Amino acid sequence: MSEGSAESVLSLVNVHKRFPGVHALKNVSIEVRRGEVIGLVGENGAGKSTLMKILSGVYQPDTGSIKIAGQATQLESAADANRKGIGMVFQEQSLLTNLTVGENIYLGNEAQFTRFGIVNWKALYTAASRQLEKIQVDVDPSLRADDLDFATRQMVELAKALTLEEHASDHLVILLDEPTSVLEQAEIDVLFARVRSLKSRASFIFVSHRLDEVLDLSDRIYVMKDGAVVADLVAANADVNTLHHLMVGRSLQSDYYREPLQKPYRDEVVLEVDGLSLDHAYKNIGFKLHAGEILGIAGVIGSGREELARTLVGFAPHSSGSLRVLNREVHLMSPAEAVDMGIGYIPRERRVEGLVLFLPVSANITLAGLEKLTRHGLIDTREERLLATRWVERLRIRTPSINTLCLNLSGGNQQKVVLAKWLNANVRILILDHPTRGLDVGAKEEVYELVRAVTSEGVAVILTSDTLEETIGLSHSLLVMRDGEITYRADSEPGNKPSQIEIIGHMV
Amino acid sequence: MVKKIIASGVTRPIMRRSFLKAAAAFGFAGAFPAILIRSANAAGTPTVVNSIRSLSNPYHATWNKGGAAFAKAVGAEYVTLVTEGNSEKGIADIKAILAKTGGNCVINIDPNDSPDARPIVEACKAAGAYVVTQWNKPADLHPWDFNPNYVAHISFSGVPYGKAMAAALIKSMGGKGGIVALGGIESNVPAIERKAGLMQALKENPDVQLLDMQVANWSGKEALEKTNAWLTQFGEKIGGIWAANDDMALGAVEALRADGRAGKVSVTGIDGIQLAVEAVLKGEMAGTVAWDPYWQGGMGLAIAFAAKTGKFDPSKEPKEHREFYGTGVTITSENAQTFYDANIKAEPKLDWNDIWGRASGQIQYN
Amino acid sequence: MTTPIEQITKRQPQPKRIRRWRVATWAPLMVLVLLCIIVTFINPNFLSFGNLVRITQSAMIPLVLGIGATFIVLMGSIDLSVEGVVTLSAVILSMLVLNGANSNNLGVLAVPIVLFIGSAVGFINGLVHVRLKVPSFMTTLGTWFIALGAANALLGGMSTRINDPFIRGLAVVRFMGFPWGVWLALFCLLLALIIQNYTRLGRYIYALGGGEDLAALSGISTFTVRIATFTLAGAFYAVGGILAAAQLGLGNAQIGTGWLFTTITAVVVGGTSLAGGQGGVLQTLVGVLIVGVLSNGMVLMGVPSSVQIGVQGLMIIAAVALSIDRKLNRIVK
Repeated sequence: MSEGSAESVLSLVNVHKRFPGVHALKNVSIEVRRGEVIGLVGENGAGKSTLMKILSGVYQPDTGSIKIAGQATQLESAADANRKGIGMVFQEQSLLTNLTVGENIYLGNEAQFTRFGIVNWKALYTAASRQLEKIQVDVDPSLRADDLDFATRQMVELAKALTLEEHASDHLVILLDEPTSVLEQAEIDVLFARVRSLKSRASFIFVSHRLDEVLDLSDRIYVMKDGAVVADLVAANADVNTLHHLMVGRSLQSDYYREPLQKPYRDEVVLEVDGLSLDHAYKNIGFKLHAGEILGIAGVIGSGREELARTLVGFAPHSSGSLRVLNREVHLMSPAEAVDMGIGYIPRERRVEGLVLFLPVSANITLAGLEKLTRHGLIDTREERLLATRWVERLRIRTPSINTLCLNLSGGNQQKVVLAKWLNANVRILILDHPTRGLDVGAKEEVYELVRAVTSEGVAVILTSDTLEETIGLSHSLLVMRDGEITYRADSEPGNKPSQIEIIGHMV
Repeated sequence: MVKKIIASGVTRPIMRRSFLKAAAAFGFAGAFPAILIRSANAAGTPTVVNSIRSLSNPYHATWNKGGAAFAKAVGAEYVTLVTEGNSEKGIADIKAILAKTGGNCVINIDPNDSPDARPIVEACKAAGAYVVTQWNKPADLHPWDFNPNYVAHISFSGVPYGKAMAAALIKSMGGKGGIVALGGIESNVPAIERKAGLMQALKENPDVQLLDMQVANWSGKEALEKTNAWLTQFGEKIGGIWAANDDMALGAVEALRADGRAGKVSVTGIDGIQLAVEAVLKGEMAGTVAWDPYWQGGMGLAIAFAAKTGKFDPSKEPKEHREFYGTGVTITSENAQTFYDANIKAEPKLDWNDIWGRASGQIQYN
Repeated sequence: MTTPIEQITKRQPQPKRIRRWRVATWAPLMVLVLLCIIVTFINPNFLSFGNLVRITQSAMIPLVLGIGATFIVLMGSIDLSVEGVVTLSAVILSMLVLNGANSNNLGVLAVPIVLFIGSAVGFINGLVHVRLKVPSFMTTLGTWFIALGAANALLGGMSTRINDPFIRGLAVVRFMGFPWGVWLALFCLLLALIIQNYTRLGRYIYALGGGEDLAALSGISTFTVRIATFTLAGAFYAVGGILAAAQLGLGNAQIGTGWLFTTITAVVVGGTSLAGGQGGVLQTLVGVLIVGVLSNGMVLMGVPSSVQIGVQGLMIIAAVALSIDRKLNRIVK
């Protein structure tokens, strides 16, 4: 690493962090120096969030150490991290919208304005105004947070993080976790200008998916991949391509997405959508989905692809247009109806929406197809065990037994149980909502293989994914959505897949 | 702090569920019309009003019957107010009825809690209504300080009756042996007084041993559980069970019955509810004390009504007629049948003009 | 079936046995055993057959009520209408069978009527909860008082003595040394075990407890399951009401008082999570026995009355603290 002349204010040394089934951080070392803006980039699941949570005291490392100003220390909690001069500005807005700006800025730190248990609100608001002035934001601190637009709220969060100066003895480090994801370009410019002007007071760690922004704002950039730091670059010497290459770590390996297993889909149309619209979500959507086809839908947040998926699983009935499943016109009013039509859903939050964690593997596998197992009102548990055993073998679910609670399985195996549930219920269409989120590389590859396998049996798949690369790699066909409409369609045959640049062009 | 005084063991304060107390009152207020108006009557005759805790326990239900009987006897409109254990509701309902009748009413009240008596008496005085309180009032609130509207306060001392029941129990055991005792909620004045009576009786009968005393919170269910455990612990040593009210006594009887020992172990209660009197008749209980809530509900009104209609002037009455102990009826196997026939089988016949007939001395406050 | 899926034979490391021995699962049973040992040590009478019978007698009602409540709690809901349904059932039963207040004499026929009424209250709970989207806490609070009010209106505050030999027999007549009521409670337990383990309803209750959306996404009609479960619980409470009336030999408007506390305590102490999804009726059996043995044992050990209620409170906190697997509460991404 380059020897910086400036002193180190915060560093992680050889940090490991494991969760069941996932080695989330592998020997991570980073260093933040006085007045630096550090960029942190990586794909979803690369370990950025875990790293940020360790820096903000939410998680503790399994091994390795944290040093502040060269002194080894521990961050017991978010409050402890705050005391030690680490502030956070989150991607999800963390202001309490029912409180005023001033109350938010000093939330939890009212003691300094309190005499005999009574808060001196006037003093608090005066102090809050001073904080807002520091970052040149003109907001009345007595306004409620929900009266502000998102950009201003972001500024208020920044002001809040700066209050740490008042009690932290050392130089501040402020974590900016995806602060730009909801902002317009002009607002981003303002935010960046503020961050630059604050470099004398604080160092920053900036996490973003937008590589150009990271290059723009940062002095130095750490690239993460699969839980490890793979590069430490001076921003001035890097470009988007270099970063992307380092993040993905492979020049499009066709093998990774099991492209050789991609077989042509069948002629049978299982789902036909025409002129489908839902107010304030998407409009005039039309496509055909064939048996054995994987249809990838690309689009940014707000493009309408999430809502479209929700319509197909019965959560958000469409307001107009035609939706035909297996040649029958339907209007899905509830998930139960969608399941009856042979549509299964594999949600991104599988621990919350996909699996009953406190039921055993067997009960989860049969959950959506219990009718078949019921005789005279009672479940035939012998038959259930046989079925479950068969699925565990077919999908190679790694579990001590079929009676193990799903809670105790790793993420990849949990995902396989969800898949087994739908295959057992004989679904014809699977909606895969970010199916590999939170899985490590090995588990991802297994999921890819399974998806290939089920489609070769004639199940049709609609895929929305975290990474464009995954969407392109897995799909037979691609739809790109923007602002609720389809802007681009492409075939995605093995060996002739569209490039990411081509697709991105239609997304934004 | 003055705790709630429970007139009858039947109503338990909602100790464990106090968080739901307000909601409970709310729920009940919806389930019952607050004011049950029986009949309309000629203007001029004062409306007669009973204010009691609830209609869901036998004690107050009988109280209400007595009130209705008196109202019928004098041809007055009769109103029942139900507090459901909520002091605010009790006071608000009284103020409402005072406003509705313009003060032309007499009120006989079992205040939900002692402190409630003062605002109620003051409101009655201001409206010109006449009021009699029973069981609960602050010790320093006296009828003679509110002449003539605060006519009288009636209470019952638990000490002599707790002692009388212990005596009846000991007698039925042949003067010796072991007993166990079921107490009411420890902070309730009647529970304390009745227990004091039991202790006096034990002192006078050294051959009788108190094996254990447990609090069963006036509840038959809890009494049954405690008795069950005692049957294991003391077995044949238990010769008698003294209970501070009838519900607990009946719970104990059922525990004995399930053990095949009903009627073999003596049990006494206090309150004189119908099922207890029947149990005395059957020989499953050795005795109980009837407060005669029918008398309380009717005679309280009769005293206030007599004052309101000018039959006597409260301010000229002696203090033993203003703040007095009523008389309970001790029921044992000897008089149970007679009591049953006169008071339970038939509608009790009371002489509503004999207003001081059961006054047995001025209330003593320590 | 041609199964290309089976061709996947890559990367097969040893199954990771993350399963650990969970203290939480067995804590209630260990507490029960420990409790029995302590009480026996202080008063050997505890283990006498007579006392065992008495414990089962006092456990039969909370067991039946606890079974009903377990299903509700497993779903992640709460049911406060226990006392209301118990009271209403007991009062109606006392008025239908041979009794001291009127000339009815329906005998055993009264039982299905009472069961129907209990189920009806449960059905209303479920319907209001699901259709009007009123939280179960408030819905059942409301029906608690409605049922109590109805019981009050029926009896006008009086107690009705039950003279029916069949009903009284539940508490008094014995089979193999135990009153028939105990056998009835055990039958309810068996029935509940079958429902829990061998019916779709039972499975769906767990699924709902695991997550409402998740259950819906698996094609389960969550409305139907909720309504059915509340109805089922109502029926169990009605059985509890019948047993309570049999035990005290009477029906009155106070007969249900105190059962809510006992029921919820037993369910929670047994290890069924108030968050839903974990636990079951066998756990509730253990919980009921803990509560029963504790209150029986405290009298046997001569614990002063004033201390007993406090000990019960402490036990609830201790039991819940033991049952919660804190390691599960970490956030896993």
